[in-house]
Amino acid sequence: MAGIGLSLPLKFTHGPTFSSSIPRSSSSRCYSSSVKMTVSVDETKKTFTLQKSEEAFNAAKELMPGGVNSPVRAFRSVGGQPIVIDSVKGSHMWDIDGNEYIDYVGSWGPAIIGHADDEVLAALAETMKKGTSFGAPCLLENILAQMVISAVPSIEMVRFVNSGTEACMGVLRLARAFTCKMKVIKFEGCYHGHADPFLVKAGSGVATLGLPDSPGVPKSATIDTLTSPYNDITAVENLFNTHKGEIAAVILEPVVGNAGFITPKPEFLNFLQKITKENDTLLIFDEVMTGFRLAYGGAQEYFGITPDLTTLGKIIGGGLPVGAYGGRQEIMEMVAPAGPMYQAGTLSGNPLAMTAGIHTLKRLQEPGTYDYLDKVTRQLIEGILDAGKAAGHEICGGHISGMFGFFFTDGPVYNFEDAKKSDTGKFARFYRGMLEEGVYLAPSQFEAGFTGLKHTQEDIQRTIDAAEKVFKNL
Amino acid sequence: MAGIGLSLPSKFTHGPAFSSSIPRSSSSRCYSSSVKMTVSVDETKKTFTLQKSEEAFNAAKELMPGGVNSPVRAFRSVGGQPIIIDSVKGSHMWDIDGNEYIDYVGSWGPAIIGHADDEVLAALAETMKKGTSFGAPCLLENILAQMVISAVPSIEMVRFVNSGTEACMGVLRLARAFTCKMKVIKFEGCYHGHADPFLVKAGSGVATLGLPDSPGVPKSATIDTLTSPYNDITAVENLFNTHKGEIAAVILEPVVGNAGFITPKPEFLNFLQKITKENDALLIFDEVMTGFRLAYGGAQEYFGITPDLTTLGKIIGGGLPVGAYGGRREIMEMVAPAGPMYQAGTLSGNPLAMTAGIHTLKRLQEPGTYDYLDKVTRQLIEGILDAGKAAGHEICGGHISGMFGFFFTDGPVYNFEDAKKSDTSKFARFYRGMLEEGVYFAPSQFEAGFTGLKHTHEDIQRTIDAAEKVFKNL
Repeated sequence: MAGIGLSLPLKFTHGPTFSSSIPRSSSSRCYSSSVKMTVSVDETKKTFTLQKSEEAFNAAKELMPGGVNSPVRAFRSVGGQPIVIDSVKGSHMWDIDGNEYIDYVGSWGPAIIGHADDEVLAALAETMKKGTSFGAPCLLENILAQMVISAVPSIEMVRFVNSGTEACMGVLRLARAFTCKMKVIKFEGCYHGHADPFLVKAGSGVATLGLPDSPGVPKSATIDTLTSPYNDITAVENLFNTHKGEIAAVILEPVVGNAGFITPKPEFLNFLQKITKENDTLLIFDEVMTGFRLAYGGAQEYFGITPDLTTLGKIIGGGLPVGAYGGRQEIMEMVAPAGPMYQAGTLSGNPLAMTAGIHTLKRLQEPGTYDYLDKVTRQLIEGILDAGKAAGHEICGGHISGMFGFFFTDGPVYNFEDAKKSDTGKFARFYRGMLEEGVYLAPSQFEAGFTGLKHTQEDIQRTIDAAEKVFKNL
Repeated sequence: MAGIGLSLPSKFTHGPAFSSSIPRSSSSRCYSSSVKMTVSVDETKKTFTLQKSEEAFNAAKELMPGGVNSPVRAFRSVGGQPIIIDSVKGSHMWDIDGNEYIDYVGSWGPAIIGHADDEVLAALAETMKKGTSFGAPCLLENILAQMVISAVPSIEMVRFVNSGTEACMGVLRLARAFTCKMKVIKFEGCYHGHADPFLVKAGSGVATLGLPDSPGVPKSATIDTLTSPYNDITAVENLFNTHKGEIAAVILEPVVGNAGFITPKPEFLNFLQKITKENDALLIFDEVMTGFRLAYGGAQEYFGITPDLTTLGKIIGGGLPVGAYGGRREIMEMVAPAGPMYQAGTLSGNPLAMTAGIHTLKRLQEPGTYDYLDKVTRQLIEGILDAGKAAGHEICGGHISGMFGFFFTDGPVYNFEDAKKSDTSKFARFYRGMLEEGVYFAPSQFEAGFTGLKHTHEDIQRTIDAAEKVFKNL
């Protein structure tokens, strides 16, 4: 690869072959899986090399802060050499050293129908001939909008943006504009993008890096952000009592993915719906992770609770940058230019992103999609938990549809404080062990895992086998 | 187009053929340009129809606020039927009624090498086979980062994000984190994305819609935003005196594009550099529009003033959603995970967007690029201004490289207040007249215009001819 400023070694090692896909590396010494099984631990370590990733990442650290464009990619909480990716396909990922992994990050959610889906790529190739961005309306926006509105119970009208961060910023401003109130309740460990008001007890990379909050956020920006532990009905009631008439909205991840995987207690969502209605407050589900993943209609369909507003992202972009917020028509009509609440975006609704979203959602509509995701993910997480416990480790976890997670603690984990009891040092060792076995999990204890339609039974079984091996040596 | 929920009329009219490109419409009655010249004004109006756009837009208004995903696309300040785009290529655009336009919006900046460039499309088609998003580092990030760092004087280290809005949000938080101060000076009519702190006397769609500020923005979010008229040295001095030791940064569009096209007075940028240094404040150039457009190194190269931090967008995405912020290494090292200032993004640095940016920048590096842009744009704006004045209208304007603008006022226009003296209803009539002549400008007096490498002399001449005709009837 000319021009990247690296001097690349001429020979490299091809890592363990776990799948039946055609290996991407051209000039490699290929170890068959049977040979692999007989090598000693030391030899395994020798064959698994990340030398090119190391060189590329060292170069990157001079160019971009921490060498990355998003903090969690730098592996700081798990240690070891961050991986630089060459390609993805289906449920697999190849790094630039030629190592192949079963991927349970799925680009943090978008890859639910599998990476680089042939039909999506074909549609993109066709659409792009007519241009990738118009800066003006196109029919594809209507199509994806109709699909989202049909799918998501709360959404009668939708605005497309370019990221989950933009969607959450927009929805917060809208909630404040609609209610004429300023305070917002969020939950500890939940992450709603990086707009200032949300960088309070945030999850995701903030939690991963152990940051309490971010410098550069004025106190005035967060003074209206009230926080409560997740699943804590009493704490929320207290906030509503203390700030009566002041609360514009309650926003939450209906299933937390950004503090690891944490599910709502059975009565929690109902309670939130009730208390928000009683207080003329809006209930906002941040379904950037859960939308189109827990069910076609998202968490709100899965749990049967319809919020007032919803944010979406990841899956609806089908691998391109898209976010969205939507809800009741009377609320959404406040958004410019229909109303006075301002929010704009040059690339919003661009035909390429719309195409990727449309074809991804079409695939998800096919019968059996969510049954399949539930089945493989259940098999996966049960296998991991069984293997962990059998080796004597404290571990808990769960899944809903194609979303899962596990913590190195006895649990149960109901909130971020419980999640933080996790043995993150052990998680880091487990993480790196799995990486060498060709399994790519999210490089943080505080991130959920994702499966997709291309994860096969073979993928799952190999993952469980790898986990058994790693757990024994932990 | 199946599934879009519209009943489309079976015959439609193909608009005037202004270019030599192959017309995109398959079943059309094609009027030759000579026949076109002889038709009466009434017949021209009959042949120019926006019926399909009307149907599609009416459907859109039920799905998305105002029918659009970004306010300015709704044509509210110019009136008339907003256009739904079918395709773009080079310097041209086709709407879904089959009308063809010479395009001076260029998707609001990205299309500087021309829409749907064959080489970029080929590179995208190739890259996408390896996946559109990894959620992990890729080598393409290194490549584009090196190109940006080499090009832009102030940038020693860069962070890619997904939009100009995200870039400006990030850079503001960074400036506050680095200086440990909270106040920021922005200029009236300048637009830096829609994060709360910037929605104060903002340009772009806020100005277009005549919104003073946006509802839903807490006063606490804007309390640290100080504003000054553009080009007003005294006002800026006063702010620094009144808020001594409190100002984190001054942020501006080094050439305004979001209040219409306004250039800095010769001494203004120098003054800002001096006063920020004297006060330990950071100077931030928002080059989302001007970057890679005024010169390869942006406005900072063009004017020879190097700020502390810079934001970029539009062109660096080559038609896909990309933003960036960068600057001195010691400042950028504060950004997570290198430092504690949080900012993240799932799709940031995705290989597809990086590819589009890399190939776009490569083309811009070719010798003669900026000379060509200067030449055609000069010809364009001088022709428009001459035609306007010859027909007795008050009009002023200018250009730098591939960026231009004009106001329906005598001028000169040094700031937003001057810009607002423009006869916006005349602009609206001019706008709609030019649309019927097959010329597509930004549908707002308060937006700059953009040319690109695919704008030919024929395009320019036809535009001027159209302007002469429209000015006479205005």
